Amino acid sequence: MRIVPASAPGPAPLGPGAPIPASSREGSMTTQRLSAYLAPRRRLRLAGLLTAPVLWLGLVYIVALAALLVTAFWTVNELTGQVQIEWTTENVVEVFTEALYRTVTLRTLGIALLVTLIDIAVAVPVAFFMAKVAGTRLRHLLVVAVLAPLWASYLVKVYAWRALLSSDGLIEWAASPFGGSTPGYGIVGVVLTLSYLWLPYVIMPIYAGFDRVPDRLLEASADLGAKGWRTLVSVVLPMIWPAIIAGSIFAFSLSLGDYITTKIVGGATQMIGTLVYTNVGAANNLPLAAAISLIPIGIILIYLAAVRRTGALRSL
Amino acid sequence: MESAIRLRGLHKRFGDTIAVADLDLDIEPGEFFSMLGPSGSGKTTVLRIIAGFEQPTRGTVSLFGADVTRLAPFDRPVNTVFQDYALFPHLSVIANVEYGLRVAGVGRRERRAKAEEALGAVRLAGLEDRRPHELSGGQRQRVALARAIVLRPQALLLDEPLGALDLKLREQMQVELKELQRSLGITFVFVTHDQDEALTLSDRVAVFDAGEVVQLGTPREVYDHPRNRFIASFVGSSTLLEPDVAAALGLARAPMAVRPERVTLADSGPGAPGTIAEVIYTGPEHRIVVDLDGLDARITALEPNIGAHHRRERGDRVMVGVEPAAAAPLEPEAA
Repeated sequence: MRIVPASAPGPAPLGPGAPIPASSREGSMTTQRLSAYLAPRRRLRLAGLLTAPVLWLGLVYIVALAALLVTAFWTVNELTGQVQIEWTTENVVEVFTEALYRTVTLRTLGIALLVTLIDIAVAVPVAFFMAKVAGTRLRHLLVVAVLAPLWASYLVKVYAWRALLSSDGLIEWAASPFGGSTPGYGIVGVVLTLSYLWLPYVIMPIYAGFDRVPDRLLEASADLGAKGWRTLVSVVLPMIWPAIIAGSIFAFSLSLGDYITTKIVGGATQMIGTLVYTNVGAANNLPLAAAISLIPIGIILIYLAAVRRTGALRSL
Repeated sequence: MESAIRLRGLHKRFGDTIAVADLDLDIEPGEFFSMLGPSGSGKTTVLRIIAGFEQPTRGTVSLFGADVTRLAPFDRPVNTVFQDYALFPHLSVIANVEYGLRVAGVGRRERRAKAEEALGAVRLAGLEDRRPHELSGGQRQRVALARAIVLRPQALLLDEPLGALDLKLREQMQVELKELQRSLGITFVFVTHDQDEALTLSDRVAVFDAGEVVQLGTPREVYDHPRNRFIASFVGSSTLLEPDVAAALGLARAPMAVRPERVTLADSGPGAPGTIAEVIYTGPEHRIVVDLDGLDARITALEPNIGAHHRRERGDRVMVGVEPAAAAPLEPEAA
């Protein structure tokens, strides 16, 4: 359908005063008829609006995820290395019984929880300052500052931490006069780097949470005799609790699935993500990798089910 | 007797704006005191300074003889009812009312009893376990009141507490507020921009304009004897009379304000002649605008609606009369 605006200079054959091209008139007539037809048909309109995104979500996202999980119950031909559709629970049983996987799962859980706690501990005061103390200009500046790292590539940031943590890096240089040294590449490095990476995702929901606490409520609390600390515990924290949970979902689930950071600054540290990576790549055992990936999916589902009761999912 | 609230030389600046200009004010114990003024006149700022939410640029605040100027809100024996109620959304009604008692360390049983008594006083028994968002505006208002009075403050500060309610509810709450104040016997400081509310409720009214109290007195004093044009037109409605118009009506040759209900119209007799320019029917009364002959001036009169048999029409000739006692001389305007 070609639409020629009536006032715009038309193509060469159409001089001034030429009739509006038939195609354009028909076009608007068709559009009108279509909207007249659709106006009372609510379901049809909804179908037109949602078909494409639902297909996308259904096929690309859920089907792909389901296919991955189904793969966990297949095997690999030991000779050819090809995935065979031969149903077995061997992979899943292995993942849930072998000590290696239990150790790595606990380590990954520990790292993810630690990262989440560190991020919350840093984010709450920062978000409080941004929402309740800083003036408008400073607040906007801080929002930009918090979000700016998200524009940089993930890899760049992780390699920056690799440089920071190296034995001749900035941390070593700053700590050595005081008898300290860089933690080097290992679990501490992974925790530091992941905490840094996910911090914006934790600050932003908590900032929004603080922003939703009206100053009037703080005044009302003070008016009723509560000092600052009491107001924080009795009024502010209960109100921003869902926002803190929302932030923790990001930090926790992103940490749980990460493998690149572990590879780059983790030294020999194994996390669930690195096991999946090794099995997809070097070991070429896609079914086992799929079975391993059931662990973080299971953990996240349990976590989401637990936090659903706090109402945090509504404030995401 | 010591003043409940004494303000001396109170001054508050926000940047270049003077919100309160060198204010002296004494509010007596047990008084229902209103601060009336248009928005931006400084009345709310004064209330917030009394509550401790704002620090004055200079000047002092004393409560029952004790200087509290530098005290934080939680150390002042006053409580506030906020305009938007400021109820804690995560707490139930009873927990909201108990909040101050809990902070003060009052035991659970005593807390509960006092909170229920306060809820009873604002006629809200039975809604203890609701959350604020499940209540109507009028009910939230009552919770805010209960939460403030449960602490037995020496003075209750109310910041336009009825502003968000519809007319019927507002009138009902006005009566209840007045009764509550009488039964508690404590000082109420009431901020409003609604002159009806101020006149109805108050023992005394302070009219604010541009950070200053321009008139202070009983509702009758303020309404019957407005000191200047601002008060005459802000508090109720008035016709402002220029000196020669006042003289033509048989009053002193000075600027005057006269309330429409004090203007009498007659078919004949003494007074200034005029022609009816407009008759507006308002239900309980007719608002009649009269063009005064040869004066290029208009005056408004109110006549009660006493039935269809006595009606004035546009274009009727009338004689306009104003009793000397009914007109309030106005102070000359400051340049």
